[in-house]
Amino acid sequence: MKLSVNIAGVEFKNPIIAASGTFGFGREYNRFYDVSVLGGICTKGLTLLPREGNAGTRIAETPSGMLNAVGLQNPGADRFIREEMPFLETLNTVVIANVAGNTEDDCVALTRKICQTNVDMIELNISCPNVKEGGVAFGVCPTSVENITRKVKRACTKPLIVKLSPNVSRIADNARAAQNGGADAISLINTLTGMAIDYRTRRPVLSFTTGGLSGPAIKPVALRMTYEAYKSVSVPIIGMGGIMSAEDVLEFMIAGARAVQVGSANIFDPFASFNLVKTLTTLLKACKIEDISELTGSLKVN
Amino acid sequence: MKDIVFTVTHLKFLNKDVFELKLTAPEPLPECRAGQFINLKVADASLCLRRPFCLYKFDKTSVTLIIEIVGKGTRLLAQLKKGDTVTGVMPLGNGFIVEKQHQNIALISGGIGCAPLLAVPLTHPNKNVCAYLGFSDKSKTVLVDEFKKACRVKVSTDDGSYGFNGYATDAFLDDFNSGVFKPDVLLTCGCEPLLKAVQQISRQLKIPAYMTGETRMGCGVGACLVCACAVHEGGKTVQKRACADGPVFLIEDVVL
Ligand SMILES: Cc1cc2nc3c(=O)[nH]c(=O)nc-3n(C[C@H](O)[C@H](O)[C@H](O)COP(=O)(O)OP(=O)(O)OC[C@H]3O[C@@H](n4cnc5c(N)ncnc54)[C@H](O)[C@@H]3O)c2cc1C
Ligand SMILES: Cc1cc2nc3c(=O)[nH]c(=O)nc-3n(C[C@H](O)[C@H](O)[C@H](O)COP(=O)(O)O)c2cc1C
Ligand code: FES
Repeated sequence: MKLSVNIAGVEFKNPIIAASGTFGFGREYNRFYDVSVLGGICTKGLTLLPREGNAGTRIAETPSGMLNAVGLQNPGADRFIREEMPFLETLNTVVIANVAGNTEDDCVALTRKICQTNVDMIELNISCPNVKEGGVAFGVCPTSVENITRKVKRACTKPLIVKLSPNVSRIADNARAAQNGGADAISLINTLTGMAIDYRTRRPVLSFTTGGLSGPAIKPVALRMTYEAYKSVSVPIIGMGGIMSAEDVLEFMIAGARAVQVGSANIFDPFASFNLVKTLTTLLKACKIEDISELTGSLKVN
Repeated sequence: MKDIVFTVTHLKFLNKDVFELKLTAPEPLPECRAGQFINLKVADASLCLRRPFCLYKFDKTSVTLIIEIVGKGTRLLAQLKKGDTVTGVMPLGNGFIVEKQHQNIALISGGIGCAPLLAVPLTHPNKNVCAYLGFSDKSKTVLVDEFKKACRVKVSTDDGSYGFNGYATDAFLDDFNSGVFKPDVLLTCGCEPLLKAVQQISRQLKIPAYMTGETRMGCGVGACLVCACAVHEGGKTVQKRACADGPVFLIEDVVL
């Protein structure tokens, strides 16, 4: 049975990738299991300079999901390279650096810096809903998606994934824009903007007022967007949003994903990604699937 | 670390809203410290996040928790029956580090904030410990007898219906000012006004104090950064992870 997949020339031993922001830099979960069993690890969103993120309450539980407003807390490029890269380099798995910035220039400078390390790929995060400037601002309008992708691509010596926001009018247009700008792959979805209110205090639960919704609650939206993106671009797609089980992985692949990322599930259960790799093998056997790649885009349209 | 499948061996209500839950593990547990916590899965697929609870008592194969029913998750946990299983990761967080030179220890708590403090005298039988346990009124008092078995205790109620009339911090200051007890360190857990009061006391009396709070959490293991606790460090305010860098912090440093 073949579990490995290839995305923009990078070989993943299986299609399970830990999603940005839910897996730190891999150290914490490596205390639970050898994280090298995963196809890949995507780092917490990095910025050129360190960021402390938002103060106060950053999480709220919602039915079958959660809202977060971390605000891109991260150690910045230099400390990432100095303190986290040496550990990541010891792992036998694909390392993807998730990069973000307030301006196009920041994103370009950061990409240039990170490309000098041994990371395998760059994931450009133009879709973070939890920062006041930048982030999602680049990710909404197709023209700005194309522009920033083009600029970052020019500075990027590694395969470039562009991570799309779901908080847009037409995901297909944004996927196409990223492809036109030179993206080697597209990942989606980031979190959906949402809100939680405490009726007793009449205040938002999150200090940032709004937050990003993730978890099983967003899976139907994520599947639809994966499917629409798949129909509109030729570059490989990494699907995510609410993946909890091996069945979910197959569904995303059938919709068009070549690999998937697993986010909130890691937060709900420290062994989530590890168990997914194991149960995926069992499920493929039961379904008599020889090569997992045959699933990608195999949806039978009604 | 492991995800441990525990069996419920005991569940007892201490008052209308608070219950004691004893969980027994199938194999020896890792060593634990007062102030550490467990992140427990709730048996309802729509409640995705685990619930963090302090370890109240622990031994080689079991942990006991004191849980107050405040919402959906705790209500479900209260319905567990002897023999049911629950999954959780533990021990998490730093816990209270009791230093050698801290011979005299004052515990100051509000409500069920006393739960994580009991393990301090239990695991340090040679220290001189006095617990100042505050409750809103007599009907809310819990665990007083357990503390009495382990250390000296002074109970206070906000309305004076039992013990000292006032807050736990008032009861402590009463003893301190009259020279009854001069601790080397204060350990505290409770609501924010209590923590603020202890922070002030710590600054004024120049006695180090450690607190543990209730920050909302996600992973509980340090990976998702949703459990920010603002702490002064080197002239700056930085966001620490309550689950991994805490939950116990030097109160002096915490932005309350
Ligand atoms: C380190 C730590 C130790 C704790 N120890 C204890 C303990 O020993 N005994 C005890 O009764 N409670 C303790 N708490 C609080 C306990 O975790 C919450 O009361 C519980 O999670 C509420 O769950 P719920 O589903 O009933 O409430 P809901 O309000 O329905 O929960 C919704 C969400 O908010 C979170 N939440 C709600 N209230 C709190 C709170 N006060 N603190 C943190 N998260 C909250 C829940 O975890 C959940 O994610 C502790 C909290 C932390 C962070
Ligand atoms: C706590 C948290 C932090 C996140 N941080 C980032 C981030 O820094 N960069 C990013 O591109 N996505 C971030 N995400 C989004 C996830 O990578 C993922 O796109 C989203 O959560 C949907 O997948 P899921 O439902 O499996 O969690 C974060 C998500 C969560 C829950
Ligand atoms: S709860 Fe995830 S880092 Fe603390």
